[in-house]
Amino acid sequence: MPINDLLSELGILPLRAIAVQSMLLMVAIVLEAMVLRQQLRLGYRTSMQYAATLNLLATSLGWIAFLALEAVLPLALRSQVISYVLFNRFYTNSWYDVLPVVVVVVAIAAFFVTYWIKLQGLLWLLQLLGQKPVENTPEAIEGDRRQRYERARRAQIEGRQGGSSPRALAMLQANAASFTAILVLLLLINQIGVLGW
Amino acid sequence: MVGFFGFLRQTLTELWQAVLPPRYFSWQTVIYMSLFSWLVSLLARLLATTAFTVGLLATISWICLALGVGWALEANKVRLFGIPIAPWVSGAILCLFLFGSWGGRWLQPALVSWPLVSFAVIAVPSLVSWDFDLKAPPPMVRQQLALLFCLSLLFSSWFQFYFRIQSWVRDYPSLVADSVDHSAFVYRFPGQEVALPAGVTHLTIAEETLREQIDNKPWPSVERWLLNLEGQRQALQQRVQSQMGRDADLEDSLWRLDFQPLSNGDGYTLKLWAIWSGPAANQNGYYLEKTCLLMPINRGGLVETENTAPGYTTTQWSTLTCDLQTPRQAGHPRGTQQQG
Repeated sequence: MPINDLLSELGILPLRAIAVQSMLLMVAIVLEAMVLRQQLRLGYRTSMQYAATLNLLATSLGWIAFLALEAVLPLALRSQVISYVLFNRFYTNSWYDVLPVVVVVVAIAAFFVTYWIKLQGLLWLLQLLGQKPVENTPEAIEGDRRQRYERARRAQIEGRQGGSSPRALAMLQANAASFTAILVLLLLINQIGVLGW
Repeated sequence: MVGFFGFLRQTLTELWQAVLPPRYFSWQTVIYMSLFSWLVSLLARLLATTAFTVGLLATISWICLALGVGWALEANKVRLFGIPIAPWVSGAILCLFLFGSWGGRWLQPALVSWPLVSFAVIAVPSLVSWDFDLKAPPPMVRQQLALLFCLSLLFSSWFQFYFRIQSWVRDYPSLVADSVDHSAFVYRFPGQEVALPAGVTHLTIAEETLREQIDNKPWPSVERWLLNLEGQRQALQQRVQSQMGRDADLEDSLWRLDFQPLSNGDGYTLKLWAIWSGPAANQNGYYLEKTCLLMPINRGGLVETENTAPGYTTTQWSTLTCDLQTPRQAGHPRGTQQQG
């Protein structure tokens, strides 16, 4: 049977990863779009587009980081990754005892790196779309000195607030919501075997 | 005479009408250009011109083919689940052209770059104007392009992940012999014949080694051989490692050989084990077992013709017979947890 030959030629396919990732991405995009829409008072369509772009960007960068890191891992740790991907469990070797710690540390790092990427990505996206923040617009009206002084002061205050600008706060909430949802879904899948495995 | 020429002319005109594109600026023109430049490149090859000429003509032919097919699909509004497939087909043709001539493992770079090349096919017309100037598309288009770029990056990563799994399997071929039913990442279509783990080869080499050492030998020397079990185990392990060393895989260090003689009547049952200490679907790993029978026999017929004196005990010789099967067992043969 040629179709069977083709399938065995293809070997092991990452189909489950693709299915699960597509599902999780949809959930994350919808959740983040809701948060962004509420916090930043964006339109429905705009918030969906922003959330979709940022999540896809973070996911692809995450894949690239994983593929690059996996290639340089020590062999013992690399075979644990293989074990987890192929058999959904770790096997007993010299890394076995520290793996829970490694997993938790990597997950926490992933959360903050993703947050940073999404926030940065949002800034890039806004810049790309020509919707720069007010204080950076080049075609700002050259008003009198007092007006300029006012603006500089306002920019200074906003700069001092820094991380707690509405955008950063909204992104943090969105990221937290999507990570929580993904974590819950993954736990459910692993515990009950919802998808039949 | 005139009638014949008239008929010929009419036929030619009709043919010409059928083949000629409706307008000069259409996809048929581009496909004809591709065909023409392909034919000319064949001609150039026949005339043994420089490789550069042939390559240039072939390149023009490929690019025109990609453009023409994409244009044709776009013009006829060919959709798959509502998604225009024209850029993807054009991208595929371009990737075939870019990487197909590489030979060897060209499929990997071609598939990995396919989504990105397709994205370029979509993006270039809206970023570059006809006179090769950069132009800024409206924000709506920019947003769509950013989304598409991230999406094609994700598709590309998925292809890359597939090839990474294949390279794992190349490094650790025995992984294929295990079931991946519990995986959350990968799926193997059922109904395929599953390869044997490499441990079978280890066991075969071990059997040959044992045959050299304790088959068809005087029984007392075999008994002496069995006294130094630990030493024989290490020797066997080293022997198999060096035999496998010719085409060494990363996984060879994850196989451990062991054996245990159990007394069985006059002789012994030898249990040979190839123990897998790498990733496995089963919680406790698995091992392959080969059962051999080591028995003393009298070389009766041979000795009697020698006409020996009665009462003289004939020398016993050993025979080693091994099962062909290597059944796979879960856990560890000695019941202890193995260390990695």
